[in-house]
Amino acid sequence: MFLRMIRGTLFRQWKKMIMIAFTIALGASLASAMLSVMLDVGDKVNQELKTYGANIMVVPKEASVIGDLYELEGEENASAYLKEEDLGKIKTIFWAFNIVDFAPFTNVTGQTADGSEIDIVGSWYSHHMELPTGEQLDAGMESLRSWWELKEGSWLNEQTASQNDNGAMIGVTLAQRLGLGVGDTLHIKGKANELDFKIVGIYDAGGEEDQKLFTYLHNAQALSSLDGRINSIEVSAITTPDNELAELATKNGPSSLTVSQYEKWYCTAYASSICWQIQEAIPDCVASPVRQVADSEGAILEKTQLLMILITILSLIGAALGICNLVTATVMERSQEIGLMKAIGAQNGSISLLVLTEIFITAIIGGVAGFFAGFGFAQIIGHSVFGSAIEFRVMVVPIVAVLVVVVTLIGCIPAIRMLLGLRPTEVLHGK
Amino acid sequence: MVVALLSIAIGATILSGLVSIYYDVPRQMGAEFRNYGANVIFTASGDSFTVSDINDAAAIFDSGDIVGTAPFRYENVRINEKPIVAAGTDPEGVKKTSPYWRITGQWLEGSGELLVGANVADTFRLKEGDFIDVYYTPEGSQSADENGERVVVEDNIKSFTVVGILDTGGKEEDYVYMTLADIEELTQADKGRADIAELSVSLSADELADVVDKINAQVSTVHASLVKRVTASEATVLTKLQALVLLVTVVVLALTMICVATTMTAVVAERRKEIGLRKAIGASDTSIIKEFMGESMLLGLFGGILGSVLGFVFAQQVSINVFSSSISFRPLLVPVTVLISMAVTGLSSLMPIRSATYVDPALVLKGE
Repeated sequence: MFLRMIRGTLFRQWKKMIMIAFTIALGASLASAMLSVMLDVGDKVNQELKTYGANIMVVPKEASVIGDLYELEGEENASAYLKEEDLGKIKTIFWAFNIVDFAPFTNVTGQTADGSEIDIVGSWYSHHMELPTGEQLDAGMESLRSWWELKEGSWLNEQTASQNDNGAMIGVTLAQRLGLGVGDTLHIKGKANELDFKIVGIYDAGGEEDQKLFTYLHNAQALSSLDGRINSIEVSAITTPDNELAELATKNGPSSLTVSQYEKWYCTAYASSICWQIQEAIPDCVASPVRQVADSEGAILEKTQLLMILITILSLIGAALGICNLVTATVMERSQEIGLMKAIGAQNGSISLLVLTEIFITAIIGGVAGFFAGFGFAQIIGHSVFGSAIEFRVMVVPIVAVLVVVVTLIGCIPAIRMLLGLRPTEVLHGK
Repeated sequence: MVVALLSIAIGATILSGLVSIYYDVPRQMGAEFRNYGANVIFTASGDSFTVSDINDAAAIFDSGDIVGTAPFRYENVRINEKPIVAAGTDPEGVKKTSPYWRITGQWLEGSGELLVGANVADTFRLKEGDFIDVYYTPEGSQSADENGERVVVEDNIKSFTVVGILDTGGKEEDYVYMTLADIEELTQADKGRADIAELSVSLSADELADVVDKINAQVSTVHASLVKRVTASEATVLTKLQALVLLVTVVVLALTMICVATTMTAVVAERRKEIGLRKAIGASDTSIIKEFMGESMLLGLFGGILGSVLGFVFAQQVSINVFSSSISFRPLLVPVTVLISMAVTGLSSLMPIRSATYVDPALVLKGE
């Protein structure tokens, strides 16, 4: 009998039930879309902020001290360089997954034909790496210098270049001074060897790099016979904004932390803990966060996330009140029907149960439909804004489910109370 | 009726709140992006320029847009017989142009104080509170006079207290910083000279480029240029963020408006019986439609006004919580919100009212 009555309502009043289901679906889709976007916005914005370039610099431990104290000018000192063979180790640290890009730099000087000295920098350009983990990675300058404006020509590319390619990119200021264009050849006399560079591209970096010549790592090393040696590594990593724990670790050193604090710090992607792990992986190096990038990232991420959380809360409240309203309105409408039931002897409990079951069946249908629709909306937002999919988070499912159930229940309560208070004679009389 | 009013007010709140936030995000976020530091650099177009040239050039910007200006003057000095680059600057300006500078100890404030880069502090084992003498060799001390004898010029010496250690992760760590007045006292030359000035300006990349061109045309002593790393990246990220808020606003608004519409439909449908009764006693369809539409428009009006107020309060709260600054009130938003909520309520009640008028009054009243 109970089932038959429910089926009766669902089929006879399908128009009304569809409307409730539709509203609940809208609310649920709003909730799931906003929650998905909110939970993913941190990662997405973090990716975008990578356009500011590296946030961690790795230099040899002895570089500054030896250079400064003993003024060993011109003399080669093995400990003042990092080893090229250690580079792959960066991708083996605990937070390897968070390291999106990195590139080594070898800085040398060379003389042009007219005798003037210029700075030459060797680095990676779309450098392909096969990692021990089986992962593949294309690392290099192109994303670490995303603000470079290419005036002429193209970027260097290791994958298309041959083994002994002498391609180079030249800064716009230097190119003007030397009167060079794309395709021209520049003869450079280094400390050890001489090389003819072929200009592949001219860039405008809007800074001091405009006075430099950028080439492949092996070319710069060959000029000063610095085989396998590099001056610094720039690392672009996705980091968590610093909190008190990270401050503490930076201030007093990780050794001052308690065991549990240390574990928590080590296993969170703070800039300082990633630096620490790089130092563990690469012998004799100092890795430090570039404050200009690392701190600002943290501030912007926090603000964006907070903004999204507040917008999400607003839309959740909106969705909840919307559903509540409609449920109350539709249930109250059925006073006559309920009055009739009461007149022929229905119990208060069974009436409440009947109304609740009907509404919940509708709510579940609407909620499930809405959840998927909302995830679709989230994907639209993800693709059109960030050009990548919004990740599916399991967390969203229970939140949306609880929200739908609670909101529907709250929507039913005033209506049911009113229905129970009905006097059948008055209702049927039409008052 | 309360139900309908509430639902319209919620819709209007979300509308006005989100639109206010959407319009305010670029300004507020732009201010956050100033954390990345200077986005305009002034250099001398000739040999040198002075602090007053910098101020002249900076005056071309709207004074409200400038977050901070920091002139720098670099000199080679010696500490413990080792050459070091000393920079003279305006500490208050640097605080604003480079908010990411992390200082252990105190900020540079007055005369006789020295801010030491972390690498320098390491090399000399300096810490906060140490006293140190800085030597400067005036130009000409190495030259010979016309008789071939060396001209002996005494080094200028000034004592400083180390007030703080500077940690930036960049090359600033290799320098020491003092006030402009101190570096002038130390060098005793070129009063007012500056080598470079950093400006942090909250304008978009395009607007900045315009003003920079204007400065280069108007002030002959100053060459202004954009820090491409900061401006280009900011433009990229800010565009994305604004697109995000826009899309979120559109999705939320669309869904909320449909929600409001369904509620209105339900509320009107509930009154079919009343419509039937009116028809039975001789009311014409148009008069019924007019009356009911008038009612829902009135609801839309009140809901809209209520929503505009609540929406502004909400946007204000968000702004204070997220950006700790208040939002600007947009008067235009009130009539727009009211009009949209009236339109939505009107349209969503039109359908059920019309369908109710088509019905045979006898059937409606009978309860079918």
